[in-house]
Amino acid sequence: MQIPVGVKVVALALATMGAYSWFANSIPQIESKPPQDLSLEGNVPPAQLVKAGEAIFHTKGSCETCHKIGEKGMRAPDLGGVGARSGKRKPGMSAKQYLIESLLQPAAYVVEGYPPIMPEVDKPPIGLNRSELWAMVAFLESLGGTVDVTLDDIPATAGAAAGGGGGGGAAAAVKMPGDVNAGKTVFTGKAVCGACHTINGVSQGKVGPDLTQIAKIQAPDYIMKKVLDPAGMGTVSGFPAGVMPKDFGARLTAKEYTDLVAFLLTLK
Amino acid sequence: MKSGAAARPGAWAALLLVAFSIALAAVPAGAEEAAKETVYRNFPLIGSRLVVWAVAQLHLNFAAFILGVPVFAVIIEVVGWRTRDAKYDWLAHEFVKLVFAAFSTTALLGALLLFLFVGFYPKFWAFMTNIFFTTYWIYALLFFAETFTVYLWYYGWAWLSGPRKWIHVGLGVLSNLFGITILFIANSWLTFMMSPSGITEAGQLKGGVWAAVANPTWMPLNVHRLIANLVFGGTIAAAYAAFRFLNAKTDEERALYDWMGYIGNFVALSAFMVLPFAGYWLGREIYAFNQTMGITMMGGFMSWLWIIQAILIGVLFLGSNYYLWLGMERIPGSERYRKYVPYMLALLSLGFMVWATPHSLILTLDEARAMGGTHHPFLGFFGVMSAKNTAVNLMILTTFLSYVLYRRANRLSLKPWVLTGMAVQWAAFAVAAGIVVFYGVYGYFVESIVRIGFSVYQVGAVLGAIALVMTIDIPMFKGARSTGAIRWGQIPARSQYVLILLAVTFTWLMGLMGFARSGIRQYWHVYGVLRDTSVDAVTPALGYAANIITLVTIGFFALVMFIFWLGGLPEKGAAMEGGHGHAPVPVIAGGSDESS
Repeated sequence: MQIPVGVKVVALALATMGAYSWFANSIPQIESKPPQDLSLEGNVPPAQLVKAGEAIFHTKGSCETCHKIGEKGMRAPDLGGVGARSGKRKPGMSAKQYLIESLLQPAAYVVEGYPPIMPEVDKPPIGLNRSELWAMVAFLESLGGTVDVTLDDIPATAGAAAGGGGGGGAAAAVKMPGDVNAGKTVFTGKAVCGACHTINGVSQGKVGPDLTQIAKIQAPDYIMKKVLDPAGMGTVSGFPAGVMPKDFGARLTAKEYTDLVAFLLTLK
Repeated sequence: MKSGAAARPGAWAALLLVAFSIALAAVPAGAEEAAKETVYRNFPLIGSRLVVWAVAQLHLNFAAFILGVPVFAVIIEVVGWRTRDAKYDWLAHEFVKLVFAAFSTTALLGALLLFLFVGFYPKFWAFMTNIFFTTYWIYALLFFAETFTVYLWYYGWAWLSGPRKWIHVGLGVLSNLFGITILFIANSWLTFMMSPSGITEAGQLKGGVWAAVANPTWMPLNVHRLIANLVFGGTIAAAYAAFRFLNAKTDEERALYDWMGYIGNFVALSAFMVLPFAGYWLGREIYAFNQTMGITMMGGFMSWLWIIQAILIGVLFLGSNYYLWLGMERIPGSERYRKYVPYMLALLSLGFMVWATPHSLILTLDEARAMGGTHHPFLGFFGVMSAKNTAVNLMILTTFLSYVLYRRANRLSLKPWVLTGMAVQWAAFAVAAGIVVFYGVYGYFVESIVRIGFSVYQVGAVLGAIALVMTIDIPMFKGARSTGAIRWGQIPARSQYVLILLAVTFTWLMGLMGFARSGIRQYWHVYGVLRDTSVDAVTPALGYAANIITLVTIGFFALVMFIFWLGGLPEKGAAMEGGHGHAPVPVIAGGSDESS
């Protein structure tokens, strides 16, 4: 019995595509997941900072695409021992100053023999925020050096354009129209934020992160969204997830919400 | 007692107060609603991304076909017009008939894609509209213009023949101009998503829309897609001819569709040889725009995609050459060139193996220890760009050589300078191959930034050789003596399955490259500007992508077969009535002295 041409043609097409699919399924399967934003606040122990920085190195920072640790990279220098080495790179510049400059202005000093291809990591598409930059510097310092970076070492403007919400990042400085004093009242009163959060001289809650310097650590965009959608903005490292109420958008009036954010933005 | 008029202002004030109180009470809901701005909607069962992916790929497949085929159809029509050879006019009409059948499906899929974007990605669509609204109008108007021109071109074939043929050819040219402009506009949207330009950090246009249109990857992608459309159009038309050949009942019919398949493959192969160069340009611009994106594309999670691509392109090279070699069997006089086939096959196979060699392997610790690292001690040398660029350039040269031999298979040049001409041609091949190999080896000894520049010399050498060889070949074989007519229709049936294999492979390759272009944006709708915050923000692994590409490609071919069947119904009706379509079917069986 002769097989019809149509059947043969279909069989050939299916076998061809099946073979391509089979091969594609037989090689390593790697997904590219969107990175989680990290938020570190208050007194973070160096070990926690370094661990967070290492995670960023492998994920959101995309650093290991070019850099290796303990192995010479083709596109970028080996970062093994960079914590000890970076204090000697530029005269008069400490290790952490050099590392911060390398992350924020990579073109300022390019290691000999490598092309100037490193992006500014606080800008999109990588877009590390201040907390993440802090952790990253701590991790790099830990590679042969001493971890002494503090949040204050990271420039206040760093990470301001990290967003990518269709309007770039949030502006570095946003002036909210709300009443700061009324917002403080909302914080301690109707919203009961003080029960969980510490703000020096205002409240002493320990369930959530210390907010004494929240406006210094986080962009206004993050703060505004965090109040309305706490789960959607991620959980601060070291604190339990799902504790912060999700209904502030319904419980607070627009004025109360604006006042509360205006108050939080003064915490620097 | 107060008068009604006096009481009324009080009532109004009370009403206003109540309204204000209600408004204030409603404000919290307003704050909550603001936080719940509709950014995405979910398509039932399979999710929004998958449905957009499938429809976009289908739309692009059809669009590539209807934009690619008219380019060579009009050239073939011009050849028929100037040489007064009716068979070219028939062929051009056959090609346009296929386009015509696929035209409305392309438009329907485009409209469906638009609805999907508006409905399921409203924030993204609003963002794009803010920037590209002006171009929407131009696009729509051009689409009208192209539709009417193609309709006139197709339906006016008999009406605008004879002394009015120039008007008809003009319509073909015009429809191509409209089509190419439409392609360029659509490309500006998607290249903007890859390499946005002309906007502020807040995502607003800085000046005119042109700055966003002319973004860094726009022109390279325009060129790349234009060439790829030609290849795609050629392979699909050739596959259609192959199907008709295999189902042919008479020798005449077989001869006709053998010839049509050959022309389709010739178009595809000619464009395919320059496609990698356009790909280099696009890749270089991606690197120049953003190193992170470039490195993610070639060295990040997508690095294995290029191994699959190498296999597909290897199949295309081997298939195209095999078809030419089989085709030589129906050309008397080609025997003298068949001795070269094993060497060309060896070179192509070697190039294929080098190109498909991965740079590094993902291994277990024990495997890595056994091998001495993630790079194989010997094969690892072939997994780098120096080796791969050398391999692909040599494969292009070999394929070109196959074509040159096919072209002269039944011809003997009578020119007195034939020996010199041939010597220069062989020297051009040798010099080009030498340059390619030299820079391939030298690339191992220099920094990557220097090595990248070497590919330009390699490409230049190959293109230069192609140009020089053809410049000599055309006059050298003009008026050549024939060693026998090509026996159209007497090619082995397996050659037709090769044409179908090429069409399937190239369609699948287009799907893969679409995934690559879209996937390198990772979790960004617009790279670095508008982030993908949907549940589908993860870029899937290659296996999943391949399964989707296969399913959509099956869908595409099912639709194509249905549409071509529909398009052929009038012809069947005409045949039953004893007539034919718009153009008379030429008789090709019995031989032709031409090889192209």
